[in-house]
Amino acid sequence: MNVPLSWLSDFVDLTLSPRDLADRLTMAGVEVEAIHEIGDAWDQVYVGHVEEVTRHPNADRLNLVRVVAGERMLTVVTGAPNIAAGQNVPLALVGAQLWDGHAAEPKRITLKASTIRGVPSEGMVCSEKELGLSDEHEGIMVLPADAPVGTPLREYLGDTILELEITPNLVHDFSVLGVAREVAALTNQPFHPPLVPELPPPTDGGGTDGQPLVLITSPARCARCVGVLIEGVTVEPSPEWLQRRLTAAGLRSINNVADVTNYVMLEWGQPLHAYDRDQLAGGRIVVRDAAPGEQIESLDHVVRKLDEQMLAIGDAERAVGIAGVMGGADSEISDSTTNVLLEAANFNQYAVRYAMQTLKLPSDAATRFSRGLDPNLAWGAAARATALILELCPGARVTATADVYPEPVTARTIDLPYGEIKRLLGVTYPVAETIAVLERLDLRAEPLPAAGEAEPTLRVTVPTWRQDITQSADLVEEIIRVIGYDTLPTTLPTGRVVEPQRDPLRLFADEVRDILAASGLNEIICYSLTDEPTLDKLTFNTPWTTWWEGHRPNFAATRLVNTLRSDWQILRPTLMADALTKLAENLKHRATVRLFEVRPIYLPRELGQLPVEKLTLSIALGGVRSVRSLYSTAAENSEPLDFFDLKGVIEVLLRRLGFTAVTYTPSTYATFSPGRAAELRIDGELIGVFGEVHPAVAANFGSSAARTMLAEIDLMALLARLPQRAVRGSLTRFQATVQDFAVVVDEATPAGEVQEAIVRAAGPLAQSARLFDEYRGEQVPAGKKSLAFEVTFSAPNRALDDREMEKVRGRIAGMLQKRLKATLRQ
Amino acid sequence: MTAVIGDVEREAIDHLAQVETEAALEGWFRTYLGRKDGKLSGLLRQLGTLDPAERPSFGAAVNAARDRVTAAYDERKATIGSSALNSRLAADAVDITLPGRPVASGTLHPTTLMIRELSAIFAHLGFQTLEGPEVEETHYNFDQLNIPTNHPARDRWDTFYVGSRGTDDTVNEIVLRTHTSPMQARIMEQQEPPVRVIVPGRCYRYEATDASHEAIFFQLEGLAVDTSITMSDLKGVLTEMARQLFGPATKVRFRCDFFPFVEPGVDFSASCAVCGGKGCRVCKGTGWLELGGAGMVHPNVLRNVGYDPAIYSGFAFGLGIERIVMIKYGIEDIRNIYANDLRFLESFAGTRI
Repeated sequence: MNVPLSWLSDFVDLTLSPRDLADRLTMAGVEVEAIHEIGDAWDQVYVGHVEEVTRHPNADRLNLVRVVAGERMLTVVTGAPNIAAGQNVPLALVGAQLWDGHAAEPKRITLKASTIRGVPSEGMVCSEKELGLSDEHEGIMVLPADAPVGTPLREYLGDTILELEITPNLVHDFSVLGVAREVAALTNQPFHPPLVPELPPPTDGGGTDGQPLVLITSPARCARCVGVLIEGVTVEPSPEWLQRRLTAAGLRSINNVADVTNYVMLEWGQPLHAYDRDQLAGGRIVVRDAAPGEQIESLDHVVRKLDEQMLAIGDAERAVGIAGVMGGADSEISDSTTNVLLEAANFNQYAVRYAMQTLKLPSDAATRFSRGLDPNLAWGAAARATALILELCPGARVTATADVYPEPVTARTIDLPYGEIKRLLGVTYPVAETIAVLERLDLRAEPLPAAGEAEPTLRVTVPTWRQDITQSADLVEEIIRVIGYDTLPTTLPTGRVVEPQRDPLRLFADEVRDILAASGLNEIICYSLTDEPTLDKLTFNTPWTTWWEGHRPNFAATRLVNTLRSDWQILRPTLMADALTKLAENLKHRATVRLFEVRPIYLPRELGQLPVEKLTLSIALGGVRSVRSLYSTAAENSEPLDFFDLKGVIEVLLRRLGFTAVTYTPSTYATFSPGRAAELRIDGELIGVFGEVHPAVAANFGSSAARTMLAEIDLMALLARLPQRAVRGSLTRFQATVQDFAVVVDEATPAGEVQEAIVRAAGPLAQSARLFDEYRGEQVPAGKKSLAFEVTFSAPNRALDDREMEKVRGRIAGMLQKRLKATLRQ
Repeated sequence: MTAVIGDVEREAIDHLAQVETEAALEGWFRTYLGRKDGKLSGLLRQLGTLDPAERPSFGAAVNAARDRVTAAYDERKATIGSSALNSRLAADAVDITLPGRPVASGTLHPTTLMIRELSAIFAHLGFQTLEGPEVEETHYNFDQLNIPTNHPARDRWDTFYVGSRGTDDTVNEIVLRTHTSPMQARIMEQQEPPVRVIVPGRCYRYEATDASHEAIFFQLEGLAVDTSITMSDLKGVLTEMARQLFGPATKVRFRCDFFPFVEPGVDFSASCAVCGGKGCRVCKGTGWLELGGAGMVHPNVLRNVGYDPAIYSGFAFGLGIERIVMIKYGIEDIRNIYANDLRFLESFAGTRI
């Protein structure tokens, strides 16, 4: 809302500079978003009087104008068609800062002395556009006859506009009068409301059909409706002062009657509507529920369809307005209107908000109504508007009034136990100061007789325009916002200690992040929304399904109803797509990219139920294993990261988390290349999948890597299986024995099975087993391979001698033979 | 004969002084101290030719001479040995300005770093960190927070709806939470006072993004409820947080503001960490950095969760985590934070809590 200080100062003396006033208001909760100065650049512009206009000797379309401004008398050349002797006009002297009247975009110019067609022009008479007042550049701006000739234009027309952001609770500040009342309270100045002549008391009838002028048939949704019938009105352009105030406040001038309704809305906060009474069937209005499907052409000439949740204004036959939102086109005030029915009503805020949102019509009136107006505003605002119309149309007269107000709202009282101030704020103020502050806000506070207690209770009477004050905490806020939050001390909470609890999942997630970052990966955090086509990019030749259950969820319960981007349709059920997208993006400027993300995925349940948010880990690797350096060969520099680089990361992660019994089995998930993907299982449970991304899938995401690695692991399932850390509490003093085992086995036998057989056969003596060589060739029969393991044996209570080792070796050989038809090479 | 011993000893010592290398030293050793044909050992072989009476004294003299020569040899060997080591080491010297062998080093996301920093600060103030669902019921996102259905206050939160949307918003619907505040209600419903928690988490607003607004962002919620929690405590806790984040001279300022779930309600700012309050580009010349909203938990919210507002009072606050990241690290466009570009992410390698 824009509030011109010139208007505000009608009702309160402004004792602070605009900037200080803005700060004071903002600190107290009425936020000033901007301060606009009208005329701050009008340094060399004066109110001039046109003495004489003569034709330019060398140009038909130009005139020479003799202008007087105080002691100055100068001649300027102008092409303005509306220039005439006797006018008062804005006169710019050489050096004035103006806006370019011909430029499409706002452009500053400095007026220079010039000669136009052989005649020197000593200044310029200005259009509104050249002064920055509006876009009007058809002719020069003509000032009123009583404008003070010779004074700087800034003193006459300059103004300061406060642009306010009114929060939804402060509907009483949504008006010049409301802000004036606020300023009066905050600066401790008296408030001078406008003096308004009383309206004639309500009359019977008033409609041309004998019915009442105003009826309410939906009293639950309209608390009050005031009607004033004004006959003999002359509709014409508004006087300059009225136009200027509306323009300064950001509204467009229409005609004198419409302008008065807008003016009073801005001044009082009460929206009003003026009907051409002769266009109303029955010459009257009814506030009623809209009929389903009922249509009306609104003032903006759009046909709107109403429904029964909206409130309509009807005449005897049809809808003539959408209550609180916008009037109808065919009862609009026109140049030929002579009889006006003025309406000032109190419509239910929810009905208006519903209509405003459903019809997408956020009008000034609807914005005010939807915040809940004080029904007691309507009569005074109608009186103020009537007085202004009568002032502008001297022949007009009030012939009927109506006020339907079945349940008048009265001021309420709230008891504020004085201790509440200290209890909520941690500080208190003298009772007299508090009462004085409340009084400044029109909150009459009366100390109740204290019954032996040290601290009184204040009984506070709340005026009806303060609908936001309903309980004692609201009063405490009023007190502190006027006294100032700067008076609050800083203390730390005392009292009972909260029993410390730790969130295991959060700590686990942080541990995973730390391990992966220390392993050389970079954490990413991606947007949590995606769409189904993106998911289908994740699989080759089949629709996307989950890797854990192999089916596609019904996304109905995680689909957005409204969205900002076409690729934000559902909550993501996997982190994989984002991992591949970010991998591909970063590979455009990096030879190697290693990323991970720890965020929830969202698994839909039934419609109307919250989805399951499952904390998940994704890892994506791509690019070359070693960057070009002193220490790597050209061949090494072109070697791509592969399956085993990813498996190495996963092994480090699981080992650091304390997992020892992890199994890897082949995966056929359609994101991966067949034969290069694994399922990660713990206690037989599927915890995650990882592998080399299928080349077609990698291409879908634009990955430029020769091989693209991807993993997704369910961190909640992992946490659920987190082992107790088996810490080696003591060290054996006996030397461990290290032996190598070369195993000849069928080509197709996985190395993991060979290792498992060795470890199983060795029993508790085996401390570790490590595959260190793989050989195919002359020494080994065709179709076989030789796998070499280094196995470390030890016992806690003895050194292992040759005889014992011979037995172990025999057990291993037997197990390999029995399980895998494998033999030990000597 | 004894004179011969002296001659051999003198010769050996003289030659030894000329020996420079380990190989020459070995040759010298064979010449003089070799068991078989060393000159000093050879003298002992002459014992048989001597008068039996002279034999003991001659033998003793040879042995004494050999001990002296051996001692000289050991000394010489040590000298030559260390200089050989020295020259070997000299040849082994490297250009220590060459780069080290590459070790991959990773980074944590700045949002993670900031959540950790805030959790650590608030842990010291007795606040525990909890998290809650991002997909939320309007019951918690609005109703329990004193934001009634159809109330214009709801317009302050542009909301993503999930699943389906009725024709009016009087029913409980599913939304992407617009703030972390629904956790206030969830936590208070589940425990009795005292409560002292912070809740970091992702929030969503159905509004266009620009350099300082993201549609998907992280907030940190704070909540303390007990029998004696005051607004001065709120100011103290937020001041402590701001000092830990931005330095010990930081001040906190409250301005009256409206949030339906607090009363009194304020927005809070910290004195600008960049200019110290004098006014600069970061604080847009105001000297203050707006950080978030705060206030005393609204009596209606306390009633909604079954706390008696006549007995309990509490404060709550919410702040934007990215906003603090941007201030602390001089980031001008919030969208950089979730672009996940390594050139940006790796610049956080040197940040720590």
